[in-house]
Amino acid sequence: MDGPGKQPRLIISLGMHSAAIIAFQLALMQLISVAQWHHFAYMIISVAMLGFGASGTLLALFRSRLLGWSPWLVPLLMSLSGAMMMGAFAVARLNVFRFDVYLLFVDASQFPVLAANYLIFFLPFLTGALAIGILFIKNARHIGTYYFSNLLGSGAGGLLALLLAAWVHPMQGPVLIGLLSVGAGVLAAAGRRRVLLLLLNLSAIAVAGLLMKSPSDIPLSEYKSLARTMNLPEARIVHTRPDMQGLIQVVASPALRYAPALSLSHAGEAPVRKHLFVNGDLLGPIPRFGPETSGHILDHTTMALPYVMKERQSVAVLHAGTGAAVAQALARDARRVDAVMENRGVLRLLQTCFAEETGGMFLRDPVHAWATQVRHFLASAPAGHFDLIVLPLMDAFGGTAGLNALREDYSMTQEAFSQMWDCLLPDGVIAVSSWVDYPARTALKLLTTLVETARSKGVTEPRDHIAALRSWGTITFVLKKEPLDSAEVQRIRAFGAGMFFDPALLPGLDASERTAYNALDDPSLLEVMDRIMAGDPEVGRDYAFMIRPATDDKPYFSQFLRLDRLRQLGDAFGQQQLPFLELGFLIVLVTLLQGLLLALLLILLPLYRLKRSPRKKTGTLLYFGAIGLGYMFVEIILIQRFVLYLGHPVFALTSVISTMLIASGAGSLLSDRLRATPRLTARLALAVAGLMAAYALLLPPLIQGTLPDPPACRILISLLVIGLPAFVMGMLFPLGVRHLSLRDSSQIPWAWGINGCLSVVSTSVATLIAVEAGFRAVMGVAIGSYLLASAVFFLHGRLFGERTG
Amino acid sequence: MNRHPTHKCVLALILTLLLCPSAAQQDPHAGERGRMVRDQLQARGIDDPATLEAMRTVPRHLYVPAGQERYAYQDRPLPIGYGQTISQPFIVGYMTQLVQPQAGQRVLEIGTGSGYQAAVLAEIVSWVYTIEIVPGLGERAARLLQEAYDNVAVRTGDGYFGWEEAGPFDAIVVTAAADHIPPPLVNQLREGGRMVIPVGSPFQVQMLMLVEKQNGQVTTRSLMPVRFVPFTRSRED
Repeated sequence: MDGPGKQPRLIISLGMHSAAIIAFQLALMQLISVAQWHHFAYMIISVAMLGFGASGTLLALFRSRLLGWSPWLVPLLMSLSGAMMMGAFAVARLNVFRFDVYLLFVDASQFPVLAANYLIFFLPFLTGALAIGILFIKNARHIGTYYFSNLLGSGAGGLLALLLAAWVHPMQGPVLIGLLSVGAGVLAAAGRRRVLLLLLNLSAIAVAGLLMKSPSDIPLSEYKSLARTMNLPEARIVHTRPDMQGLIQVVASPALRYAPALSLSHAGEAPVRKHLFVNGDLLGPIPRFGPETSGHILDHTTMALPYVMKERQSVAVLHAGTGAAVAQALARDARRVDAVMENRGVLRLLQTCFAEETGGMFLRDPVHAWATQVRHFLASAPAGHFDLIVLPLMDAFGGTAGLNALREDYSMTQEAFSQMWDCLLPDGVIAVSSWVDYPARTALKLLTTLVETARSKGVTEPRDHIAALRSWGTITFVLKKEPLDSAEVQRIRAFGAGMFFDPALLPGLDASERTAYNALDDPSLLEVMDRIMAGDPEVGRDYAFMIRPATDDKPYFSQFLRLDRLRQLGDAFGQQQLPFLELGFLIVLVTLLQGLLLALLLILLPLYRLKRSPRKKTGTLLYFGAIGLGYMFVEIILIQRFVLYLGHPVFALTSVISTMLIASGAGSLLSDRLRATPRLTARLALAVAGLMAAYALLLPPLIQGTLPDPPACRILISLLVIGLPAFVMGMLFPLGVRHLSLRDSSQIPWAWGINGCLSVVSTSVATLIAVEAGFRAVMGVAIGSYLLASAVFFLHGRLFGERTG
Repeated sequence: MNRHPTHKCVLALILTLLLCPSAAQQDPHAGERGRMVRDQLQARGIDDPATLEAMRTVPRHLYVPAGQERYAYQDRPLPIGYGQTISQPFIVGYMTQLVQPQAGQRVLEIGTGSGYQAAVLAEIVSWVYTIEIVPGLGERAARLLQEAYDNVAVRTGDGYFGWEEAGPFDAIVVTAAADHIPPPLVNQLREGGRMVIPVGSPFQVQMLMLVEKQNGQVTTRSLMPVRFVPFTRSRED
């Protein structure tokens, strides 16, 4: 660019630009999650991130020209990327580009619109990655320093995205981020070019000012619950608050009521309540509570079951949401209610802006509100303390079309229920409810989880400890530590009769009682429940959906799809309606397939140019592919472990990613001082594989053992555990590039592209492996990737050597 | 032999054919509707004559959004905007048959949507009262229904409180998704009446719930339009 050696101006601008790229990726995820759903956001982002791979392809095909233009091209690309970041979502919300993921499977005209969306979001990443790639290739001798700047900047970008999510409207985030990239471009330019670039960007800056002043609304899918709620008469958003965990909005309408599966014997009105949404998805109603409150609407639903059995003094409400179950516990005169709310922003809102409406219930006794993760709460809660542990109502009326399939939920795993059991008093119960879905899935999986929990705690006859009550819409299960007594059984029967609910599981139950008020055309729900209660070992294998309990290794409670039964389901429900059974899983599958196809194309294209290279390309493909895949797999594993450990999902995610990037950056910086020998590179890759193998054995007991420790201690442990492998991993890419620069620098862009492509594809691969085979399998693939990388350099002569023939 | 009357008949026939548009030209979708009834309804067990005749008569293509007419008679739901769908023909037929419609009856519908279900019911019963909460949908459906039927009353607004002044109803169809069945609707169902509620996500009705009121008790029955056989053992037994 401007001469040999490290250029501080370029290094700093690279850091700024890298921060902008990662921050934009996260801000875009947030925006698209609000407008559509998380999985669809991920689908869009994965194609967009292939801009990194595509930049490598372009560099491989037009290397000399692009490098020749680099003094003005790099600043221009950075600025252009920034301008596109500012405008991308605004363009995507134009009517001609409006897309709805729900319609993808029913309306073929959505495909070109989807393709257009891909392009809109692909371009900022392509231009941005091209700038980064050029800098890396031009400065391959000092790749360690430049890569350090890239990684450090990326880590800072993650923190920047978090801060912006907490402080500004989601539509404003990309504008500020884009300005950062524009600034990076101006800094990267030298001399007069800087002034020219600044003038060129003035209009972009002016538009940014306008967008910041009046952010437009986020266009929602018409199938999102917020969009459908806004169709109600006089519906209006009465409160909006940006938050790290998602955009919070409160809607009021005189037609907005809350009474899930209300008993058909109830003659009164269901109460009108404001509803709270996070990222456009319903979280729950804002409960009312006060001295005048008598009773609760949930007392006329199956969710009253645990209170019907006996009075509950100490209640833990897990995933308390907006607090409806908390209000019910208060109305039932509980003496102490521990409300665990994972969304700190929601809790703060209920304690401040809506304190009066909720009667201040979250501000004083008997409610103790905990803004923490459920597992963390359970780990710190005293054993044998609770009368009742309540979980939220699962699924939704009409189903969720499987959109939660790949959402990790550590509060619904076997291990979580085991912890809940330990926290119960001797006559305490766990109560969990779900909407009755068809085909039956959620209820059956809940039951297998409860039965397994009971058996693991030494219960020989689960049928004496489990009761279930079913209405026209919901089913509530209770698992009691001690056997159910006859008085409780009588009370349950009487309550059910009064409410037109049927007992589904109860000691001494007659078959005719189970469908007295709510008949089932298809008896499979009750038949399979009976098989589960009887301990039939074949029931999991026979049933067409996955109903075995989720575990910490496979924490996907809402994942029910069995790929081996797809044909059967297609025949039963029709091919067109099949996607709406398990939409989330299918979207990830589509994401993987499209990513693989595009990645293959991007990786193969440069080979046209490289066929003239005297050096073999196998080593490049295997090494950079392996470390690209391996890095993302390790990141995913560490995120999974530390979400549980650090107690706050967003905080944990950001901590892991930022720590990894910063530690990798430090490793990259150190690598500049090392001789890039094949033996060293091989040993370092082997060290990573060995470290991950050690983590596979030692990390779970370490986490379990130190979970109750003070936060400062846990943070320190986290930094060490995450930082150590990341530090070594950060050396591998620059060492590989330096190795190539000595042997065949024409392959460097291709290597950059391969690494980018595999990094993108690996996330969906890891997710699908985790769902099907668990996180241990993901760990296995990560170890295998670094073993492969190591083997490539141990065999470097054969894989990087001269071509023969 | 007098040929003159025969010649006149032939001439009259020829003139009739030339001057009157053919049945196919008047209603180009009649054939499609007939096939829809045969292949999607009768083949799947819908056998109520009134329902089948109503489905043969109502021009479904008028009730789908512009540009979607060519899909109107296919075996699938279609989006109509505002997060709603027009149900697939089979579901409409099934729901209609379930309410056991007859002349003389009064039927309430909560969730007019496209207006198609109301139109099918209007072919059979004496009065249909239908409420739609989304003004855009309600107004469009009202225009279509009131052009074709004089026994349909359309209201735009919250259907929570039903249509008290026109009740009690012989049947109530609740297509508006809500997390509970409003007690006023249960009150407005006459003794012995039937309420039908489709349950499922957009584009997939998984279950129909039939609510019946008998002797002060309100019972439900979950009906599966698509029978799902969960495991092979039950087939082998």
